[in-house]
This record gives sequence, structure tokens and C-alpha cells, in this order.
Amino acid sequence: MKRLMAFLVIVFVATGGGAFAGSLYPEIPKAVGAAHPEGSAFMRINHMKLLRHDRDETMRLGNRDTQYSLKECVACHAVMGPDALPISVKEEGHFCRSCHEYAAVKVDCFQCHNSKPDAGFTALLAQSPAASSDDIAAYLDGVTQ
Amino acid sequence: MLSTLYAVLFYVATIFMIVGTAMKVLKYARTPAPLKIPVSPAPRTKKGVWFRMFKEVAFFQSLFKSNKWIWIFAVLFHAGMLLVVLRHIRYFTQPVWGWVELIQPIGVYASFAMLIGLLGLLIRRIVVPRIRYISDPSDYLMLILFLGIVITGMGMKFVMPVDILAVKQFFLGLMRFQINELPASPAILTHLGLVAVLMIIFPISKLMHAPGVFFAPSRTQVDNAREFRHLSAWANQLPPLPEGIPEEGDV
Repeated sequence: MKRLMAFLVIVFVATGGGAFAGSLYPEIPKAVGAAHPEGSAFMRINHMKLLRHDRDETMRLGNRDTQYSLKECVACHAVMGPDALPISVKEEGHFCRSCHEYAAVKVDCFQCHNSKPDAGFTALLAQSPAASSDDIAAYLDGVTQ
Repeated sequence: MLSTLYAVLFYVATIFMIVGTAMKVLKYARTPAPLKIPVSPAPRTKKGVWFRMFKEVAFFQSLFKSNKWIWIFAVLFHAGMLLVVLRHIRYFTQPVWGWVELIQPIGVYASFAMLIGLLGLLIRRIVVPRIRYISDPSDYLMLILFLGIVITGMGMKFVMPVDILAVKQFFLGLMRFQINELPASPAILTHLGLVAVLMIIFPISKLMHAPGVFFAPSRTQVDNAREFRHLSAWANQLPPLPEGIPEEGDV
């Protein structure tokens, strides 16, 4: 019995038992723009399919007028570092990393693509039809903070 | 409600599997092997037996010697399952261990190996007349159960993804005796339900060949009957004959 208890304690410690004090769920940074019309739950399980589909559309079929774009993802979900500039996927706390680390899924996108929004990303966001003026204001607040 | 049901199911299944398997293994360990019966050519030293068991467990040597095509399917299935199971460690550890993160993509390919192996073994049961004759319902059941698990698992990877963050939260929670919400997607519920069934029937199924191979006297015995007298432990401990029974030569 003692041996069994010791074994269970070892398993508990080895699997990072104490790593999470309260929540067992990763901390997902809030995005600044309007919410996805499809809902976050849909996006959480399907984002890779949308991106992959649009990649094929753009790259293989030459259709640049696709519905989803990685640039917009990265812009709206940018997380600001201590210098109030967007952080890259190499840094702790990047939006993509929060879940991908938890689920041990490698992100291939940023081997080629930029994980930080471009300089003109505010303009890009403003064009996004789903974002209302309030959303943009909220976003700009997020930038200045 | 559903989450609670599955939480209880998994606690019960885990207890069944661990306690049941331990009881069976204890039984195997205590079962006497009164005769020296290693299948020749057998190693004549203990080291040799270790080597033989390694070849048997890692490469299914005896199956390789007896039937090549069955061996291919068996290896595809077992090696695939090993990688797939290792891949699933990510759901039970936080942070995920480095090597588990590294083998994630390999595990995806391994699922195809597992599927091909299972289909091959199932077709073997149906198509080969001798095997079909000796196949019991439980033989089919285990294959179909594994097929169900593999197909729902691959379905979640390739066709209808589920919220694996919530799934991981559910299992991390179970390991800390708290019940979190499980996503109510048919694929994950079927997958987990079948796994729970597998865990429950594991100790009373043919899957016990996994621990059982380590207790097979025909493989684990050293072929040294010429050097040493083989006397099983229980025979050594027999009490002297009761009074009144004549010893040899008394009459």
C-alpha cells in the first residue's frame, strides 16, 4: 500500500501535478477586434482547416480573394509585449502558443509567415466588415496600453 | 451530466484494468510450472533467456518464424499502437514532455499502420478457413473494438476535429479528482466510451497475452535440465508423508 501511494505521488509530480494551481486550462489572450461570426468554439477546432483551405486556394489556384487570412488572425490576436509592440511566436504568451503548447501541436505557419502583424495592420482591421467603430476603439485602447 | 458519467466510467475502468490485471498477473506468477518445457532451440543460460524474451516481445520472433504475412500485420498494428499511445501522453501531462512533443507527427502516421494491421488481422480471421474455424466471437470483438477506437480517433484527426483543449482539461482534472466539462461531440464520446470498454474487459480478455508472455514457461525457462534438477517451489515444500502411509520399501 505504501509503495502504491509512493508510486501515485511520483506519477502526480511527474505529470506536472502541481503546475496548475486553479485552472487546468491554458490562459488564452483576448483578441482586440470583433468576435468571429462563426463563434470561438468553431474557430478553436476548425481554424487549421480554414487556413489550409485558403492556402490551397491562394497558392495552387491563384485565388487571392479568400475569406480567411493568416495576416488578419495575427493582427487581431496580437499580444503586446512589455514595449507595447506585438510579440512574435518565439516569445512566451503569444496567442497561438497558449493553446498549441498545451496541446503539443507544432505551428508550421510561422516558419515562413510573420507571427507579428505588419505595420499597416490597424488599417487592415479597420477594413474588416465585422468590426464596428467601438471594436476599433477598443482595439486602439489595447494598442496604447 | 455526461461529463460526470464519463468521469465515473473512467475511474471504474481504471480500477478494473489495474486491479484486474494485477490479480491475473499474480495468478500467473503463482501458477506452478512443474516441468522443464522450454521450446527448443532454447537458451542454456539466464542471459540467453533475457535475449530470447527481448526478441519475442520486441520483434515477435516466434510469429516471424511461423508466418510472415501475419507477422507483418501484427507488427504494423502493435508498433502503430505503441506510437499512438505514446502520442496520447500529451493529454495527461502539463507541461508536455519534450520527447512526447517530438513524436506527435509520427503518431499520426502510426495510426494508419494500426488501421492496416487491424484490417489485415480481421480479414485473416474471415478469409483463412483454418483460422475462421477456430475464431470465437471474442476474437472478432477485440478486433472490432480496436477498429472502432482507431477509426473514431482518426476521424477526430482528419474529418471532424474536437476541442482537444477541453479533452485535456477533462483528463488533467480526473487525475486531480475534479470533473471538468467534456465536449459533447459524438466522435470523442464514442472514442472514449470504447476505450473505457477496452480497459474494463482487458483483464478478462485475450489481450492478457501482453503480460502473459512473460509467464510462458515454454519461453522463459532456461534449458538446463541436464545440469540441474528442476524442482518447482511447491514440490520442494511438500510436507513429509502422513503417518500410516508406508514409505517405499517398508512392505
